[in-house]
Amino acid sequence: MSTPISRAVFLKVLAGCGIAAVAGKLALDAPYLKGSKEKIRCRMLGPSSKIGHRLRQAAGNEKVSGTQSTRVTIIGGGIAGLSAAWWLKKYGVNDFIILELEKEVGGNSASGSNPYGAFPWGAHYVPIPNTESLYVRQLFEELKIIQGYNAAGEPIYDELMLCHEPQDRLYKDGAFHEGLVPKRGLQTDESAEVARFFELMLSFRRATGSDGKQAFTIPLDLSSQDQNFIALDSISMSQWLNDNNFKCKPILWYVNYCCRDDYGSSTENVSAWAGIHYFAGRRGTAANSEPNAVLTWPQGNGFLVEKLKAPLKGCIRNNLMASAVKQKGNKVLTTCLHSDTNEYSAIESDFVIFAAPRYVAAHVIKDQKQPDTAHTHSNDFGLSYAPWMVANISLRQLPDSRGLAPAWDNVSYYSDSLGYVISNHQEISTRQKPTVITYYFPLSQMQPKAARQKLLQSTEEEWSRIIIEDLKGMHPNIEKDIISIDLWPWGHGLIRPSVGLIWGETRKRMKEAKGNILFAHSDMSGMSNFEEAQYHGVEAAKMVLEKLES
Amino acid sequence: MTYALLITAFVISTCGLIYELIAGTIASYLLGDSITQFSTVIGVYLFSMGIGSFLSKYVEKNIAFTFVQVELLVGVIGGCSATLLFLLFNQIDNFRILLYSLVAIIGILIGLEIPLLMRILQDRLDFKDLVSQVFTFDYVGALLASLLFPLVLVPYLGLIRTSFLFGLFNLGVAVWTIHLFRNELPYKNTLKSTAYLLIFALVCGFAFADKLMGIAEAATFQDPVIYSTSTPYQRIVLTGNSKDLRLFLNGNLQFSSRDEYRYHEALVHPAMASINAPKDILVLGGGDGLAVRELLKYPSVQTITLVDLDKEMTVLFKNQGMLTRLNQNSLNNSKVKVIINDAFIWLRTTPQKFDLAIIDFPDPSNYSLGKLYSDTFYKTLKNVLKPGGMVVVQSTSPFYAKNSFWCVDQTLRSVGFNTTPYHAYVPAFGDWGYVIGSLAPFKPASQTAYPAGLRYVSADTLPPMLCFAKDMLPTVSSVNKLNNQSLVHLFESEWGEYVDAH
Ligand SMILES: Cc1cc2nc3c(=O)[nH]c(=O)nc-3n(C[C@H](O)[C@H](O)[C@H](O)COP(=O)(O)OP(=O)(O)OC[C@H]3O[C@@H](n4cnc5c(N)ncnc54)[C@H](O)[C@@H]3O)c2cc1C
Repeated sequence: MSTPISRAVFLKVLAGCGIAAVAGKLALDAPYLKGSKEKIRCRMLGPSSKIGHRLRQAAGNEKVSGTQSTRVTIIGGGIAGLSAAWWLKKYGVNDFIILELEKEVGGNSASGSNPYGAFPWGAHYVPIPNTESLYVRQLFEELKIIQGYNAAGEPIYDELMLCHEPQDRLYKDGAFHEGLVPKRGLQTDESAEVARFFELMLSFRRATGSDGKQAFTIPLDLSSQDQNFIALDSISMSQWLNDNNFKCKPILWYVNYCCRDDYGSSTENVSAWAGIHYFAGRRGTAANSEPNAVLTWPQGNGFLVEKLKAPLKGCIRNNLMASAVKQKGNKVLTTCLHSDTNEYSAIESDFVIFAAPRYVAAHVIKDQKQPDTAHTHSNDFGLSYAPWMVANISLRQLPDSRGLAPAWDNVSYYSDSLGYVISNHQEISTRQKPTVITYYFPLSQMQPKAARQKLLQSTEEEWSRIIIEDLKGMHPNIEKDIISIDLWPWGHGLIRPSVGLIWGETRKRMKEAKGNILFAHSDMSGMSNFEEAQYHGVEAAKMVLEKLES
Repeated sequence: MTYALLITAFVISTCGLIYELIAGTIASYLLGDSITQFSTVIGVYLFSMGIGSFLSKYVEKNIAFTFVQVELLVGVIGGCSATLLFLLFNQIDNFRILLYSLVAIIGILIGLEIPLLMRILQDRLDFKDLVSQVFTFDYVGALLASLLFPLVLVPYLGLIRTSFLFGLFNLGVAVWTIHLFRNELPYKNTLKSTAYLLIFALVCGFAFADKLMGIAEAATFQDPVIYSTSTPYQRIVLTGNSKDLRLFLNGNLQFSSRDEYRYHEALVHPAMASINAPKDILVLGGGDGLAVRELLKYPSVQTITLVDLDKEMTVLFKNQGMLTRLNQNSLNNSKVKVIINDAFIWLRTTPQKFDLAIIDFPDPSNYSLGKLYSDTFYKTLKNVLKPGGMVVVQSTSPFYAKNSFWCVDQTLRSVGFNTTPYHAYVPAFGDWGYVIGSLAPFKPASQTAYPAGLRYVSADTLPPMLCFAKDMLPTVSSVNKLNNQSLVHLFESEWGEYVDAH
């Protein structure tokens, strides 16, 4: 019967099945935020940065309590490591071990849950994949995310996973508007510039190089090597915008927002090739959605982690950090530190797939020529990583707002953060209950090192204050609805596709195998996302399979 | 002292403009058409200020005394203006008379303020400085008010609190003036205690602004409220007089006991009578038990499963005497099983199969309800039907929201249902629409299949219900999906239009 227009309320339910409970429960003993009239519990969680530091001290000749052997050791249980395992298993290799230093696998795609629902700690979506993203398509078919194909050959996606409408909204001039591209209140010349930008991006999306390959694609290694496009990697995105006469604030804001969203860095620190790739690399279509739709889940890409992890019981070793990796004859010896017992043990294997971040390799992989020196810099490529703060905020109810009703992704034109994602957006319940929003803040304003220090040294009180004040810009009354704030600082969140990284010499050297040690982390692409991480995981597994056969 | 009085000019002009903006904003909220509302409010206000200025010349003696009185009046009237407008909107027949009188009174008082103030100051400054300084402060105050109002006051305080707050400023000016002229004012103590009393009243108003807003809403029901409760999901209000019992959920009428039989007979019988000996029936929504009452008229029925989100709603309709009389105690029947759950979630896990599913959800007025009208939902629904099973969906009004109505029809067809759209006239709602989705083509029942005692639906009245006049045909076509929510968009624009026009 009739219930005329009322404020849209998004309702939610506990996502039923297996959720990586990285930070389960609401910590009832977490302290209240000081200086607030409301009782807001806040706590600092996050990846274990302390144990990581012990890497620097490890020499590689520690006393080990025992040695195990296996055919393949996978170091790092992020998307890359789990995908390598997925592929090995698919092709009949079951004798492998995954080492993961945290208590759960997932890495940047980790997720958590509390009584109000599941939520991501990092990655929260995957765009519908391009035809070239073969491995992604294959995985999605297996997981029934792709349920079939229509006559035109377009995939039919599980509609509960396609991002529900409304997808995004932007707070500008006192109200929320649809979409993230500033559209309202623009001068005619500004609108013309916005339109010109998208036309140009469309032509990049359609472009093919002299080698017949698409100019920009995913995985990016399949992109054209035509110098006309590759050259874009040697200037910054801000330079490119300037050269092409993009000057008005709305478009500069939007492109900068996108670079911060995907790479955690502003346009000055991102190569133009990477910046354009964001707009030109995606051309996925679906039978049952608009092109460029996204797939998302309450727990973000933690959903995919759960699915990848499920068949790998028994192969995963948590709380185990690889502290030294050495080639010994035709075997590789991995020393690992148990974070609970502080004991070392060793694993001997035919191959190692190194799926931990590439900068870690500098400390872990010990060169054969100079055995047992802690710091062999042949692996240190001076990579730059963007630090991030992610917060999961439990709210009694979604905050009031003016303009468009709450969307999946909610962004403010005036904030340094990226806004927040409503993790219960995909739920099909109409029940009114507390909800969790995931707030993203890349520290792109500062140099990474200074930013990392600020990130890790500021207290939960300070961070909670910063975040609440920021959210008040969109929702003046939000503070009274906050139940708790859980913080997750990512010291080395994402690799930054700095000028020259993607198509320069560095990345070529990064990818080279060292004896029987192969590299698989998404860092190997110079930019991090699900597709790239999975691609390198599968490629490494393929190489191992080839060598095992020969 | 001169400086103190100039500050006063600044404060009172800020307050004055704020009252004008409040009246303009409330008028646009309540009456719509902001251009008309704002320009008439400004016009009346400025004109009244002129009257005030004109009247100021009749104040001969004791100017400070009059000034204090004016401030007290502006403070209390201006301060309560937002509350008055909201509270009285539903109470009086001609809201505009109230609005413009209020604006006029405040305008006249404000019009008095500045001339009086200038005369108080005239002995302290020479004319040139007097005019220049008073107006400078006056206009700066106006600028401040016009910036504060949209950027700070409305978003942070809301209209009711803002008006109380500025009322307090006026009263503050009064107290301040009393203090400045403590040696010259007659009735000083009376003025002082009046001022404090009013300050106390406005502070209370400010503190209990939310409650006041609540009262304003409660005043919207025609009949006496005989029962009301808030559940976690909705506010349930029953109103009644000797002839009519009405149920409101969140302020929206759900049924009137005078004509609900039309709505529920039309919802249930066309589909139900067309099925040969229906046994297992599913009802989604409809926690009032009125659709169940109709279903129980078929002796072949063995089980009725009712899934509703709101436990208190079903408890109420199981136990409250007036309501169980209305639904003939249907929810306590042994064939009926009530399940408290989210319909979509429950559907995805139930192993049961049904002959007929009756879908009686609230209209798709927001995105979470829109999901219950999506193709994904209907696909899930198809899986719980027996071979040859059917669904019937309440689908809003094909007159007020024709494209929304046909969108439900098309969405059902897109997942493979044969559809039979029809409509019925329910006085409390207007022309109301339903869609039958059947796995086999729908064949209307003969009269013998209908239970005895129906007052509205019969084999004869069904054919015209299946007919749609030209003004009910769709102008756009779309399938409602989770990732386009096209029904919510249509519904909002169609009902929005209708609501705006009235
Ligand atoms: C805040 C944030 C938001 C993001 N959002 C998205 C998004 O929405 N969509 C998207 O596609 N991508 C997103 N990403 C990118 C994300 O990085 C990739 O999607 C993907 O998760 C990367 O996987 P990976 O396996 O390459 O790396 P990682 O996730 O870094 O995995 C490396 C793993 O190795 C482990 N490890 C490290 N050192 C050792 C050691 N010495 N021994 C053992 N184990 C070790 C780590 O604990 C970790 O589990 C986001 C990233 C961040 C930080």
